Amino acid sequence: MICRRILLKRVWNNGRRWLVPSSSLSPVPTTADYKLHFSTHIMAAFSFPQNNQFTLKIPYMENICKFSSNAVADLHTNGIVDVPLAQTGEGIAECELLKWFIQEGDEVEEFQPLCEVQSDKATIEITSRYKGRVAQVLHVPGSIVKVGETLLKMAVEDTQVPLVTLSNLENEKQPDTKSNKDFTGGVISTPAVRNLAKEHGININDVQGSGKDGRVLKEDVLKYATQEGIIKDTLVTATADLGQLLHREKSSLLESAQVSGHYEDTIVPLRGFQRTMVKTMSMAAKVPHFHYVEEIDCDALRELKASFQTNNLEPGIKFTFLPVLIKSLSMALSKYPMVNSCFNEESVEVILRGSHNIGIAMATPNGLVVPNIKNVQSLSILEIRKELSRLQQLSLDNKLSPADISGGTITLSNIGAIGGKFGAPIVNLPEVAIIAMGRIQKLPRVADDGDVYSASIMTVNIGADHRVLDGATVARFCNEWKRFIEKPELLMLHMK
Amino acid sequence: MLIPQTKNIGLPLMNLMRFKGLPILQQLHIEEQLLRTSSENWCIVNDGTNDPTIVMGVSGKPAELLEIESVLDDQVPVIRRFTGGGTVIVDHGTVFVTFICNKEAVPNLQPYPRPIMSWSSSLYSKVFQGIGDFHLRENDYVFGNHKFGGNAQSITKNRWIHHTSFLWDFNVQNMSYLKHPKRAPAYRSARSHLDFICRMKDYMPRSTFMDKTMDATETQFSLRPIQLEAIRTCTEAEFCPSSRFLTNEELEAAAVALQK
Repeated sequence: MICRRILLKRVWNNGRRWLVPSSSLSPVPTTADYKLHFSTHIMAAFSFPQNNQFTLKIPYMENICKFSSNAVADLHTNGIVDVPLAQTGEGIAECELLKWFIQEGDEVEEFQPLCEVQSDKATIEITSRYKGRVAQVLHVPGSIVKVGETLLKMAVEDTQVPLVTLSNLENEKQPDTKSNKDFTGGVISTPAVRNLAKEHGININDVQGSGKDGRVLKEDVLKYATQEGIIKDTLVTATADLGQLLHREKSSLLESAQVSGHYEDTIVPLRGFQRTMVKTMSMAAKVPHFHYVEEIDCDALRELKASFQTNNLEPGIKFTFLPVLIKSLSMALSKYPMVNSCFNEESVEVILRGSHNIGIAMATPNGLVVPNIKNVQSLSILEIRKELSRLQQLSLDNKLSPADISGGTITLSNIGAIGGKFGAPIVNLPEVAIIAMGRIQKLPRVADDGDVYSASIMTVNIGADHRVLDGATVARFCNEWKRFIEKPELLMLHMK
Repeated sequence: MLIPQTKNIGLPLMNLMRFKGLPILQQLHIEEQLLRTSSENWCIVNDGTNDPTIVMGVSGKPAELLEIESVLDDQVPVIRRFTGGGTVIVDHGTVFVTFICNKEAVPNLQPYPRPIMSWSSSLYSKVFQGIGDFHLRENDYVFGNHKFGGNAQSITKNRWIHHTSFLWDFNVQNMSYLKHPKRAPAYRSARSHLDFICRMKDYMPRSTFMDKTMDATETQFSLRPIQLEAIRTCTEAEFCPSSRFLTNEELEAAAVALQK
């Protein structure tokens, strides 16, 4: 039992409070999943397949963390964190602070109640995400605090700016669990990863770390959460050119309005994934884009597809154009690695990604997802076809794993599958290029001898980050890709 | 009987305490004690309370919510309860139903105000199915656009309470102690108390409501009746509830402050 004297204008409760020891934490209802996807995206962006190892400070990572739902605290380099008002659920914009359970200078344990707030009909206990010391209390009881506004500042123990050792980003197995414990008695991980674990109600000490010295990485937490059934829903993301997603709570709000028969305006606060999308797309919109449009003759591709289907030795596998397009894209990327890169604004560096992890935008009943096929450079067309099927099935079943949708290096948006001539896509940061493919249409062409013939033409639009790629590079890259599509036999020249 | 019991296998246990005419302050004390000191799930039903009492939410300001002069003149007791929400005047015509649950008691229920509110309305939808166009409107239970049930909640680290006061019947004169609140739901549309609320007795017999509420609860929980004496254990001596009467001095001070 702990008795607390509360410095208040009025004391509502001078009783003793049971602090029920529990490792569970109220999960943040807003899906921080997209934030997570984005963060792992960044982390993976800085991985090297070779054994080069160096420590890279990634302040960009901090910025990415800030895009997330209001549950993430801002980390200052002097060890003080701003703790925002969170844990209130969707649809609540502000609360009245009722009372503090702590005061400045108090040592606070993780999950210890900090204060009580009121919103409309509910009083809510806000618990601490950190173990630390209360540095500064920013509101007095009776004041109105907006959700996301800083409630108090805390001095926390693990105050390092997230330094990422590149070798950690490859998932190495660490068989020795004892090495997971550091001198403070807990696992080694960054504050961002700890925060993620708390958001999912996971005790980070339960997570097997795959990083160096047993460091727990974001992927480890997500894998643990998936295994424990904590993450039930698919992580979703978007490429900007395919419109809005229906956030789960938004759709349920709309449904309840309709079921009750009231045709009134519904205010839908954008939280979680949608809120993150607002921020990430705003960021992406700041990237100077240019768009390169090209028409590609797909007659040879049609014949190839027909041949694959006719000579198909594996029943149940249906061939489409996409696997060949993906493989030929990878071939072109080998020649123009700049198109398969990531840009770090802060350090003005371009990381040429060794793996071709080609993301494929898929429209599912649950919305748009962009899983990626890893290491296309090492896969055969058949293997690509199988992996595509696997990802498509998982997408439809809403069972994509975090690994499936993170780590992409370039995105293909087959908007033509739905319709349209071509789109003007916005890059999926931190990638530098995105390709929207329109529908393959039969169009009249004029041959060299002046005859008009019919050809299957696909229009593609490559959206590119002009800070990294210039028009000439993209044009040459596109020519290379087009060559492989129009003359697929050239792929054999590179066969090993 | 094997069959009725087998249907409850797998459902989480919920203790049920039923009262009739229990003083509302005592009910609030029991609820707060169970919320803060118990680790079990509870359903409390109080079929009417004794004397007419005004019950304000945790941060209610008497000057804004009450006609203090009338309240003082008529010596109407005023309680400030431990949960959020608005002001009600309760008496023998009010039926109280309270749920106190662990955060994981209801599968897939996020422990936040709106999800809990929605969950409760889905439970009562079963009770009022086909009757009076029942639904949850903002935070109130309504028939059509007339409120008959008000809700309040408190959410702690590991548990939550959702309690409802149902206007089975009310005394029109009692409503005159309450001011039109500054913070009112949009659908109230500036209606007076009497145009805004309705009586549940016009829609359903009292016993039917109680039975159907228990039936609806039993679709999600295995109910176990508990007597009050069973919870009067050592924990009671160590727990200090926060719901309390406001003193005359406090009410008078509020009235004076308002006049300034």
